[in-house]
Amino acid sequence: MNQIWIIAKLELRRAFFSKRALWVYLLALFPAVIFVGHGISVKMQRDEFAGKPTVSAALLDRMAVGTADADVLAAAGKPLQDRSWDQRGRNIKRRTLMYFDGSRRVWFEFENGALRNTRRRELSSIDEDRKVYAGMFQYFYLRLAVFFGSLGIFINLFRGEMIDKSLHFWFLSPVRREVLLLGKYCAGLIASAVIFGGGAVLSFGALLAYQTSADLQAYWQADALYHGTWYVISAMLGCVGYGSVFLAAGLLLRNPIIPALVMLLWESINGFLPELLQKLSVLHYLQSICPVPPPMDPNVPPLLRLVLAPTEPTSAGVAILGVLGLTALVLYVASRAVRRLEINYGTE
Amino acid sequence: MSDELILFHNVSKFYGDVLGVNKVDLRIPSGITSLVGPNGSGKTTLMNLMSGLVHPGSGSITVRGISPFAPEKLMRILGYATQYDAAPRGVTGFGFVVAGLLLYGYRQAEAERRAALAIETVSLTHAAQRKIAAYSKGMRQRIRLAQAIAHEPAVLVLDEPLNGLDPLVRAETIALFRNYAAQGRHVILSSHVLQEVDVFSDQVILIANGMIVAEGEIRNVRDEIHEHPSQFLLHCQHPARVASMLFDQADVTEVKIDPGGRGVLVMTRQREAFAAAVQRIALNGEEIDGVMPMDENVDALYEYLIGGGK
Repeated sequence: MNQIWIIAKLELRRAFFSKRALWVYLLALFPAVIFVGHGISVKMQRDEFAGKPTVSAALLDRMAVGTADADVLAAAGKPLQDRSWDQRGRNIKRRTLMYFDGSRRVWFEFENGALRNTRRRELSSIDEDRKVYAGMFQYFYLRLAVFFGSLGIFINLFRGEMIDKSLHFWFLSPVRREVLLLGKYCAGLIASAVIFGGGAVLSFGALLAYQTSADLQAYWQADALYHGTWYVISAMLGCVGYGSVFLAAGLLLRNPIIPALVMLLWESINGFLPELLQKLSVLHYLQSICPVPPPMDPNVPPLLRLVLAPTEPTSAGVAILGVLGLTALVLYVASRAVRRLEINYGTE
Repeated sequence: MSDELILFHNVSKFYGDVLGVNKVDLRIPSGITSLVGPNGSGKTTLMNLMSGLVHPGSGSITVRGISPFAPEKLMRILGYATQYDAAPRGVTGFGFVVAGLLLYGYRQAEAERRAALAIETVSLTHAAQRKIAAYSKGMRQRIRLAQAIAHEPAVLVLDEPLNGLDPLVRAETIALFRNYAAQGRHVILSSHVLQEVDVFSDQVILIANGMIVAEGEIRNVRDEIHEHPSQFLLHCQHPARVASMLFDQADVTEVKIDPGGRGVLVMTRQREAFAAAVQRIALNGEEIDGVMPMDENVDALYEYLIGGGK
């Protein structure tokens, strides 16, 4: 254990601060940047609408299809926006009136003076934001950011040193190769878990930061801590699983692109696979412990819908054990490979 | 006994279709052993095999009774200064040696003490805190040597250790090797600077095309080359007269006056008969100042056995 920790300590600096790690940080921080940007935008809109006249929500909700624009104006008063235009060729006069009820913006869309459609949108909605976050987390963060970030960190632990011609430093130390493997894995795991666990914390924090105090309090008293914890756990477990796979790939293969593409393909087609093979997917377990199901736009093409749709989830305990079991299996294979590994820089 | 030897038993190593070494049998005792051969002859492969960096395709190796497949045991008694120039990124010379020692289980303070001592031994204290990336070739050579000796191994393996060293440091390094060997340790090194190897080696292993051509003490190896005449320089006052006397000897194959005016250069196939002839010439009143063997250096052996170039 002592040797594993010494190796991990020696490797950690490189894992955290190498130039190769820069894009890993960008991947991890991207969602937080997006949500911070969204939060700023929401805050600006709130400031913009804070001094605007409001109309009661009940009144606005009473406007039925077919109501004349003059009647709406008479009932609701002067709108915040009033836009009219002619649709040439079809000889339609279109008009849109926008009102604000204190929390929602309401757009009345008229054709030739009669109400045809009403659109409503909250200035900010925590429920909608949570769904967006769930979609971002599963479709981008787990599938791409954690996946490629782990690739960047773990594949370099052996393959990168082979390319740098510095792996012999480790092989000439009085350490069993298996111990060396575990030490390097621990270094990669600590680095990736901190980076991607931290990225999940920051983005979830950014999601909460711009909510109204009422929404925030309600969410905090209900599920916020539970959701945040499981998001962080699933990001870290992603590092555990993908890390072991890419560490082994770095030992067994010279070109990291090949295992990355194969793994990405495997994870993508997981939904098509028989149930038993689904258990050999890291993503399957990670999706199982994500606390909020991701939204699916009805307009998504059927093939893409199949790829994105989560598989039948397993329980959290089974999912965690599944990732750990899969990791143990892959690390065992890697330990066999590292014993056979030779220093042969000339062929790199 | 095998616990004091480095043993290769019928070891072969191929890199794909390329031959590394072929059917090597070696018994290397303690002392300074030089591996000599042209580029690509298999010197580094032999060193990598004995340190476990590459594995034999067939055959077996033990280093003082330890298999290279057990690095956790082997590296406690072996230090290897490889030819690979790279060190882990961003590390200072001192940090490089300390990091190696921490892996041996030394505590930080003890590792730092040993690292400072090893770096001082290779005269690199002034640059210890600089990054290795900024080192010259000779400094990198020395920091690798420092790392190899820092844990005071019983077997020191050095790939081209004298490359890039200035004369003073080179002399100090050779003195270090001699000191190590005098303590009953193994010092295995390779070098292209054949004259240097000749001077301080206890034994030499000549290798070409992955095969051991000769091994043993330099003089003994030379004696085994019966088919090739030995060359001597006879220091004498009257080279022409001595040369005419030597022409009559059946064992002498060639006689010529030394162009440098030192005496007579003689090629003979039988050393003992030649020695008797020199004695007779001296007894006949010819003044012989000395007899000096001219080809007991590695260059000459190398040319005889391998057939030319370095």
